[in-house]
Amino acid sequence: MSSALIWSVIVGMALANYATRFPPIAIVSRMELPAPVMRWLSFIPVSVMGSLVALEVFRPGGQWAGSPTSPYVWAAILTGLVYHASRSFLGATLSGVAVFVGIRALLGS
Amino acid sequence: MPHVPPAATTPRPSPTRGAQFLRGLHIGLPVFLGYVPVGAAFGVIATSIGFSVVQAVVCSATALAGAGQFIALSQLRAGEGLFGVLAATTVVNLRYVLFGATMSPHLRGLGLPGQAALAFSLTDETFAVNINDRREGLSTAWSMAGVGAVAWAGWVLGTLLGAGAAGLVGDPSRWGVEFAMPAMFTALFVALAEDRRQLTVGAVAAAIALALPAMNSLGIQISGAWFIIIASTGAASLGTLLFRSEGGRR
Repeated sequence: MSSALIWSVIVGMALANYATRFPPIAIVSRMELPAPVMRWLSFIPVSVMGSLVALEVFRPGGQWAGSPTSPYVWAAILTGLVYHASRSFLGATLSGVAVFVGIRALLGS
Repeated sequence: MPHVPPAATTPRPSPTRGAQFLRGLHIGLPVFLGYVPVGAAFGVIATSIGFSVVQAVVCSATALAGAGQFIALSQLRAGEGLFGVLAATTVVNLRYVLFGATMSPHLRGLGLPGQAALAFSLTDETFAVNINDRREGLSTAWSMAGVGAVAWAGWVLGTLLGAGAAGLVGDPSRWGVEFAMPAMFTALFVALAEDRRQLTVGAVAAAIALALPAMNSLGIQISGAWFIIIASTGAASLGTLLFRSEGGRR
């Protein structure tokens, strides 16, 4: 792979990613949004996280997980419970990763 | 920031910009710890397909796009040209448009340069941490800057470690790296899905997200890059129709 291609990908990605991030903030923050649009936006964070979790847990790496009880599923359930009980992102993330590694070792996969 | 008279019962942001920034660093720490291993995985894979260490680090420092960067690598590895790589990473990161629109009402008081700076650090995790913090009434532009700074540092440092020590680290999956992002997403989901309406909409989004790839097996082809965008806009629209009262608003 040529170095020129890699550099052009790097520059293009920086521009493309910034173009998705900045204009919506700059434009929408200068408008008065109607109530239904605000309500729609209020549901976006939980919707994005819900779909990200579902895809990461049941389709890790873009393929269906081998079984419905893969390490991903158990570790995600535990992560959610730990967060619910502790309100600690750090504690929940670390416990989730630890359980994931542990179950994977037990299953020998 | 405009000065808001303190209310007796609601929590207030820290009094000084410095304290707000430090608070941002603090609440962003889990993001940092999650980004280091995932950034390292990016560094390892990038150097394995021909990136130099400098290229891998510059890519992470300027794009700051977790999933978008991994997609770019897989497209490059599959032999795609510049346009194909950029198209894939852009579609994957179209959700930032939604994030930006969601954040923008909270960034009204901020000038364009401040918005431009905060926009750069907008990722899934910084967005969720800041939105959660905003709901508790503690978030300010400076705390968001702190969250963004610590997240960026974790991503770049991780990439540097992974790219620079690819041979030493070995297979990053040994450390459960692939579950760091899902774990963060899960905790953030639980934080956001606190009332019945939010939980319902989040569950609908998850169901749509899983139904879309299932449809591929029925012969309806939808690219994976679109799953999250279709699922989240669809579920949010359904929530807007179902929950018409102001109670659904955050």
